[in-house]
Amino acid sequence: MSDAERTDEPAATDGGGTGDAFGSGDAAPTGTPAAGDVLSVRDLSTRFFTEEGQINAVESVSFDLREDEILGVVGESGSGKSVTALSLVDLVETPGRITAGEVWYRDPDLAEEFRGNGDVRVDGDHVDLRTVPPRVRRSLRGPSFSVIFQDPMSSFNPSITVGEQIAEAVEVQRRARANPRSTRSRTQGYGLGKYLLDGIVPGRDYTSEESMERAVELLGQVGIPDPEERVDEYPGQFSGGMLQRAMIAQALAGEPDVLIADEPTTALDVTIQAQILNLLKEIQADRGMSIVLITHDLGVIAEMCDRVCVMYAGEVVERGTLDSVFEDTVHPYTQGLLGSIPDVDDPRARLEPITGNVPSLLDAEMGDRCYFADRCPKAMEACLDKPPETTVDAATGHGAKCVLADREYDPADALPDGYFDAGPGDAAAPDEEAATDGGEGE
Amino acid sequence: MVSSRVIRNLKKEFRQSGLAKLGLALVVLITLTAVFAPFIAPHNPTDQQLDQSELPPIGFSQTEERTSSQMVDGEIQTVTEEVEISAEPDHVFGTDGLGRDMFSRVVYGARTSLVVGVLGTLLAASIGVPVGLLAGYHRGRVDDALMRIADISLAFPSLVLAVALIGLWGRAAVNVPDPFVVAGLAPEMPESFVLPITVVIVVGLVNWVWFARVARGEALSLRGQEYVKASRALGANDNTIILRHIFPNAITPIIVLGTVQVAAIILLESSLSFLGFSGTTLSWGFDIAQGRDYVSSGQWWIASIPGVAIMLSVIGINLLGDWLRDALDPGIEGEGGAA
Amino acid sequence: MSLGRFALKRSLQGIGVVWGVVTVVFALRFVTPGSPINAVAPLDASQETRQAIAAELGLDQPLYVQYGQYVFELLQGDMGRSYIRGQDVTTLVFERLPATVELAVAASVVAIALAIPLGVISATRRNEPVDYGATLLSLGGISTPNFWLGIMLILIFAVEFNIFNTSGRGVDVGDVALSVINAEPFVGTLLTWLAYITLPAIALGTYFMALITRLTRSGMLDELSKGYVQAARAKGLPQTLIRYKHALRNTLIPVITVLGLQLGTLIGGAVITEAVFSWPGLGTLVIESINQRDWPALQGSLIVIGTSFVLVNILVDVVYAYLDPEVVTD
Repeated sequence: MSDAERTDEPAATDGGGTGDAFGSGDAAPTGTPAAGDVLSVRDLSTRFFTEEGQINAVESVSFDLREDEILGVVGESGSGKSVTALSLVDLVETPGRITAGEVWYRDPDLAEEFRGNGDVRVDGDHVDLRTVPPRVRRSLRGPSFSVIFQDPMSSFNPSITVGEQIAEAVEVQRRARANPRSTRSRTQGYGLGKYLLDGIVPGRDYTSEESMERAVELLGQVGIPDPEERVDEYPGQFSGGMLQRAMIAQALAGEPDVLIADEPTTALDVTIQAQILNLLKEIQADRGMSIVLITHDLGVIAEMCDRVCVMYAGEVVERGTLDSVFEDTVHPYTQGLLGSIPDVDDPRARLEPITGNVPSLLDAEMGDRCYFADRCPKAMEACLDKPPETTVDAATGHGAKCVLADREYDPADALPDGYFDAGPGDAAAPDEEAATDGGEGE
Repeated sequence: MVSSRVIRNLKKEFRQSGLAKLGLALVVLITLTAVFAPFIAPHNPTDQQLDQSELPPIGFSQTEERTSSQMVDGEIQTVTEEVEISAEPDHVFGTDGLGRDMFSRVVYGARTSLVVGVLGTLLAASIGVPVGLLAGYHRGRVDDALMRIADISLAFPSLVLAVALIGLWGRAAVNVPDPFVVAGLAPEMPESFVLPITVVIVVGLVNWVWFARVARGEALSLRGQEYVKASRALGANDNTIILRHIFPNAITPIIVLGTVQVAAIILLESSLSFLGFSGTTLSWGFDIAQGRDYVSSGQWWIASIPGVAIMLSVIGINLLGDWLRDALDPGIEGEGGAA
Repeated sequence: MSLGRFALKRSLQGIGVVWGVVTVVFALRFVTPGSPINAVAPLDASQETRQAIAAELGLDQPLYVQYGQYVFELLQGDMGRSYIRGQDVTTLVFERLPATVELAVAASVVAIALAIPLGVISATRRNEPVDYGATLLSLGGISTPNFWLGIMLILIFAVEFNIFNTSGRGVDVGDVALSVINAEPFVGTLLTWLAYITLPAIALGTYFMALITRLTRSGMLDELSKGYVQAARAKGLPQTLIRYKHALRNTLIPVITVLGLQLGTLIGGAVITEAVFSWPGLGTLVIESINQRDWPALQGSLIVIGTSFVLVNILVDVVYAYLDPEVVTD
């Protein structure tokens, strides 16, 4: 279906016509977003153009985020999951660029505003955010999307009080509601002149009394004791766990539809991790938002998520409901991730780590095969061609980008040991001089 | 110390930065000029040819009013006539008020600047680095004392202090025979290089504190490192630890600072020469001071050209410093670059 | 610790440093060859005359007595009497100080006002023509000797175009203010003031403009790549606030420290700029006093210069503490 066709059919899918378009052996969600999807990402690609070459950090990623669900995105560091998160909120910075893809976001008002606009793709209540002007995308940060970052210590400005930083987030939304037009400009109606004026005239400030009170309220809601006093403290005076709560408070300031939590507990002590995860769950239940939870920790996924996407080398390699992915695992990479978790019931069982490293993602070294083949214990001849994403079970939305999705492992076809050692895509080859030719296809 | 990683960073940064290449080119050019001055200079820079004075550089000409007395009809009359002075191909940069060749003076000036810059920096480092390392390593009273001395030392602007010390101690200079001339390879040239020794000592004394600060900071952070703790636990004595472990690891920021200091001291030397507080007359700053008197009468080149020479050398060295800093990242932004 | 207590603590440390400055200046005379009497006594003076002069100047006393007396008199604001000018040194120095302060302040105000926006623009438009321009300008600025720049400015603006004055001070900034009260032609006085101060202020300020531009640029680049800037973008904060309230503020914290350290360069630069433009300030006095071996005048000038440095650095530290609350809480 071409883009033009889609824009020409406004409201055709109102009432959940198409649903998740799984079919024809392709498990990746395609086609128009369903009414129940807050967010539908299609073929999103983000590349970094560095001195060393082009890095394909996110490679044609598609997924749907449904209303009130927690979607887990899991993978090793370097698998592109954080860049995916940043791409959703358009926070990828140079030398990175989103090079392709669609991000359909459900917002009836926005859809109404842009319906009939030739440059912007609208489908029912959904708008493709990649086609709207950047200032509109910017205005959605806060009321539509919020992000919780991995390291709370570095995500707060050390020389401004925690309260003021949260109040800023509240104020952005307060001002946007008071004067919706201004939120669309580059400076959002707050230029250098106003800033200097506020700095010089006593009693004037960007943040208002009102937003400061709201900040106290939010701090209380995320379980920070004595919020009235703690608002005036600096980030350095907070513990890591408390600061992560403060960041959650800040993320809630705009009452977002979608909360993106990028490794929210990685920087914290284990005991604190559970508290933060519980807090996220409570908030999700109370406020009814959708959460994209990004983590490398399958334990966190198991605890929190309804559905899960497994990412490897910038691609979604397996997806489905939590149970389908965990119980009927298809992709050897997912199996490997699960195999690296200690089993409490059988402490004597050996952990099976995945050998090797995540590939460099350098475009020149990627090749056309399955990216995991060089580390895969079940690599076969067929893996030298890039596998399509294949449906395993349509009912659970279970799919995998692996030849094993619809056939069994056949040791007869296995690639010989050391097949990839000198070949392309071998991240272990440190020298630029290392041959990039040869290898696949005999 | 200088690991292969450091070399790789240097190479990488050098490849990527056009400014680093320019810096290195300028520094090499100036160093070669300073070393081979007797072969590059077409004239003896101290030779005065009064009949050839105030010649403009190639490509320029100068009109000058000459007044002369003449006997006209038995009366003495003063006649003013406009004389056109054109450049001589022999004097590329023209000549100064005493008919000395500006190009040769610029070439020889590079020697003074570079020698004072390098020797002054070495002296400053050889005082500052040991003091700073000892203070940072031992902390406590030694450190407190050093910091107080550094505070007091910083309270005197280096130029003011240098002017005061040289003014009071005298402007001693040492004649260092020029090997090329002694060997008879360039017979026309000055037989010896005048090293303004007081200037070298004073700039060293005035700038040691920057090295002490940086060395102290490094020692303070390195003394907490595990390998230092380990060797102390193994019973190594303090001086051995400082020499074997602290100093080699503190060398990077010291080298970067040293580069910046050479530039700073070249600027300081030119300021001192300009103010007349130097032991040599073959210096860019001195020439600018001479040329200053000619600015209002139109001989712009005498003051301008040596200044361009200073600027180019200092730019070159600063670029070299930027390159080292970007490649080695010692985290001493803004320290010690003082004129 | 409150900001007030912090300021008090720094002031007490400052007094110690000033005492050190006084001691060093006093000691300078004793590490210098030749007796100060030579500066005063005629060349053919008899032994008796020399002794009489020594007694009059207090030079026959033991060292510690001379030192004690010098410090004692200094505390009362007495810096002795100039050997050459026969004038009270305190009066002499404080006559000259305002001119130097005026020049230094004019230079730094212009430098800071231009450099910070330039550094910010350069950082936020990295690798655009503006950035290259600013980088080259600042590279040239930190590499140009200010006395030479002064002469070139004279050559261009005074000799070629005859716009500015190149020698002396004309009116001082106080006259400009007073002209309003005294109903004198304000614009005329202001123009006269500008005619004299513009070139020396540019010559002196260029190095600092270049230095601050470089520091602001690299500091901003550093801050803008930090996590809190990304977080601020994610919460939808206007760009103005991200750049100026968040990033620039954190950039200025280290910049201010470096500026405090470089204040000596500013004063040293003032000395030589004064020499180029015959600006009647402290720098000119220092050089004259050295050449004439006018010890009391030299000592007085050096003590005032050193003390100003210490005072301004205390001020800088307090501003630093205000900007970076962690300094005080430590």
